[in-house]
Amino acid sequence: MLWELAEASARRLKDRFDEYEVIVGNEREIMLKLANGEPSVTQSWNRYTITLYVTKNGKIFQTSLSSTSPGEVFEKLDTILATLSPSPLYAPLPEPTGQDYENTDERIVEIVESGDLSRVSEALELDQAGNWAGTIRLAREERVLVNSNKASLHGERTLFNGYMRVFADEDSSGQWSWTSTMYRPDIAKKAIGAAARLAEECASLPKKKIESRNYRVLLSPMVAGNLLEIVARSASGGAILFGFSFFKKEDLETRVASEKLTILDKPRDRELPGYSLFDDEGVATRDKPVIEKGVLKNILHNSKTAKLFGAKTTGNAGLLMPEPFNLDVAPGDLKDDEMLEVLGDGLYITNNWYTRFQNYPEGLFSTVARDAVIVVERGKPIGCTSRVRIADSMKRLLSNIEGVGASLWQIQWWEVSTPTRLPHILVSDARITSE
Amino acid sequence: MVFKQLILTPAELTPLVDKALALGASYGEAAFHRVKGFQIILMNGSPITASYTLSEGVRVRVIAEGSLGFSSTDSLEKHDVIDAVEKAVKHAKTTANLLSKSIKMSDERLGRARYEASAREDPEERGGEDLFKLAVELYKSIDLSRYKVNINSFLLGLSYSIEEKSLATSDGGLIESRIPRLEVFYSITASSEGSSANRWQQIGGSGGLELIDELGVVQAIEDDLRSLELYLRNAKTPPKGRMDVVLGPEVVGLAMHESIGHPSEADRVLGREAAQAGLSYRRRIKPGEKIGSDLVTVIDDPTIPGSYGFYLYDDEAVPARPRYLILRGVLNEYLHNRETAAIMGTHSNGSARTMAWWSEPIIRMANTYMAPGDYSLEELIEDVKEGVYIKKYMEWNIDDYRWVARYVGFEAYKIRNGRLEEPVRNPALEVNTREFFSSIDAVGSDLRFYAGTCGKGEPAQGVPVWMGGPSIRLRGVMIK
Repeated sequence: MLWELAEASARRLKDRFDEYEVIVGNEREIMLKLANGEPSVTQSWNRYTITLYVTKNGKIFQTSLSSTSPGEVFEKLDTILATLSPSPLYAPLPEPTGQDYENTDERIVEIVESGDLSRVSEALELDQAGNWAGTIRLAREERVLVNSNKASLHGERTLFNGYMRVFADEDSSGQWSWTSTMYRPDIAKKAIGAAARLAEECASLPKKKIESRNYRVLLSPMVAGNLLEIVARSASGGAILFGFSFFKKEDLETRVASEKLTILDKPRDRELPGYSLFDDEGVATRDKPVIEKGVLKNILHNSKTAKLFGAKTTGNAGLLMPEPFNLDVAPGDLKDDEMLEVLGDGLYITNNWYTRFQNYPEGLFSTVARDAVIVVERGKPIGCTSRVRIADSMKRLLSNIEGVGASLWQIQWWEVSTPTRLPHILVSDARITSE
Repeated sequence: MVFKQLILTPAELTPLVDKALALGASYGEAAFHRVKGFQIILMNGSPITASYTLSEGVRVRVIAEGSLGFSSTDSLEKHDVIDAVEKAVKHAKTTANLLSKSIKMSDERLGRARYEASAREDPEERGGEDLFKLAVELYKSIDLSRYKVNINSFLLGLSYSIEEKSLATSDGGLIESRIPRLEVFYSITASSEGSSANRWQQIGGSGGLELIDELGVVQAIEDDLRSLELYLRNAKTPPKGRMDVVLGPEVVGLAMHESIGHPSEADRVLGREAAQAGLSYRRRIKPGEKIGSDLVTVIDDPTIPGSYGFYLYDDEAVPARPRYLILRGVLNEYLHNRETAAIMGTHSNGSARTMAWWSEPIIRMANTYMAPGDYSLEELIEDVKEGVYIKKYMEWNIDDYRWVARYVGFEAYKIRNGRLEEPVRNPALEVNTREFFSSIDAVGSDLRFYAGTCGKGEPAQGVPVWMGGPSIRLRGVMIK
């Protein structure tokens, strides 16, 4: 059906425009949502998407449709293009160097097609769930890309991800997530176990109020995942161009973070669900450092932002905005059982949400901790607090990275949309506010 | 492949509901949901892209064996739609054994109605061609040379959408609706004297192209350019510590949405969104308890004509009405859908909304605002000896219990001896909900609404809302 839709669409665009591209996707997905330890709803989707992209004399029109009946849009394209003026972003579609891919797990396909989650609920022992809330999601994603440069590409992948918030009591909770292209109940159970341990630890400690001041902080992979995803997205040429970044074009090859930090964009990592061998322009993806030992090594580009930056595409299209596929943060040498000791006096922040910027160019932001925040003195947990804020500058925070954990987690949830493999991160002198 | 246009009416959806019942569901609903629209984005006055959007499909939600199942498809082929019905029932039955209590829907007088929001200049009739001309005219009407800052990038988006829905429920609800909306989005990054800043804003309502004038888009952009100039060239370090604070309608509207609207959602109170949007202080502080001064009344009203969050029946066919969340300082009703109303032994107040064909109806706000008082802005300020006036914000957030919020001023001024003095940069008001609402001692008459896209649910759903309020005065709160 995808090829049929793509080719039927391409036939209607051919010879009318200087260039065209059609991307047709199908996502079959099932999700179990839990609250108060019980299923609140099971949802499934069968979603077709059609992206059409055409250019004429440097004018760009694109459209994203969630429908299998996009009839009227084809009639309107010429009229609309006639009214536009050339786009300053226009660049010719690049050579289609991408390759077909298939990275699927038959167990996921079976569950999605059957709509039966009992196998998953048995594997994760949901009948034994305590006060859990979260989601478990399995999907099979397929897409086809054809364009006027004779690109004819097909990709297929699966994913299994989710997150769980575990409550020991109303004021003591932990939350963790997992993600993979494979059906991996083992990593799901490990993540749920991590959330449960944090909840129990918080419940066992006295509740503490802390004062607003600068602290050493240990950021869990959930927190670091949220902040470093923003860092990687800020390295998109589009974010820089449109003013949603604290990086500048001139920052390339300069130090922007502590030398302890290396972040890679890894579209070819078979374990992470952003896996793809071609981007939205049909260009071959490649694994690359975004930040390597603290130095900004790559601004992520599609052909459009590359032209404006005098660079080459990095295979990160987005037809409009370049984006990372999978993020991978290089591990350091902090062992799990040493991290609190190395933290010394400070806070272990285990989850966060609501990261917002006051000033994008200057990187001023704050984010709110949720779930357990463990207060640590002389390397020992002495209390549990919650809902404090990191209110700092992203540039300062990156420079103040002092240590990186050795163990890696695969994270993807509400606040970390890009699949990310990363460790704990230790930051000194972070500005913390508290009620 | 056949390209075709199709709208399923409530009458055509009824057989799907019947099919769900035949498969063993005790409750069923089927809906067709289409959003189509057009968007143009200009960068520094030139179009970077134009796009047409179409999202349409069918969703089916059922209760079977006391468990809730949902399935949806944007393939309108008969076998795919039937498959969605079968899957919804199967999903529900598969997890029924894990439930300790059956899920039920409250009994309601459901609507059988068709309604639409009016648009004097219907964007669909004028089409995308006009939208581009309007966007360019809008951009050209702004004289950037009047502002003494460098404009690094000026992104201006103009879009309209037509949302068409039809719904049938197994207990008699039959609703059809059509709501056109217009939205303007802009993001301006500017620099001066070695420092940079960014301001973005969203303006929107239900209606047609006439909203560009009616909502004062040009004036809003010009006012934000003036704010950027003040921020970059004139703003000084703000005072810190406990002081009186006057907040403008933009900040007050956001606070009503974040600190009152969200925590009043009964699904959050019951823990259904605990892992996503979080919980609520209303788990501990119950209806009838005092949370603010007598001057505070907060309403969520979907029925405001022309509003961004406008609707007359919710996505469970329940008639919409104004919801009084706080009445004279006392916590009042929750926002309910039929599921939470059944759990709490009450009636739904019509708060179930969906973003698209792929989304389950969950409890959402519509247009949340604080009722105005009778003070002018000058009167609010003249009684402040030392304080800060925060007119606009950029950064904000709130914890997942909706208890401690932070609003950081973008355009803000020092107040001394009842007069506005120099602009100040980034004053951060960090305050808990009770303190915020209890410290209000005067409420202005200048009620204004601001558009937003509110996010909630999994998969995340963004729905259009208005957030409104008048200027207010808070006594003795903390600026950090």
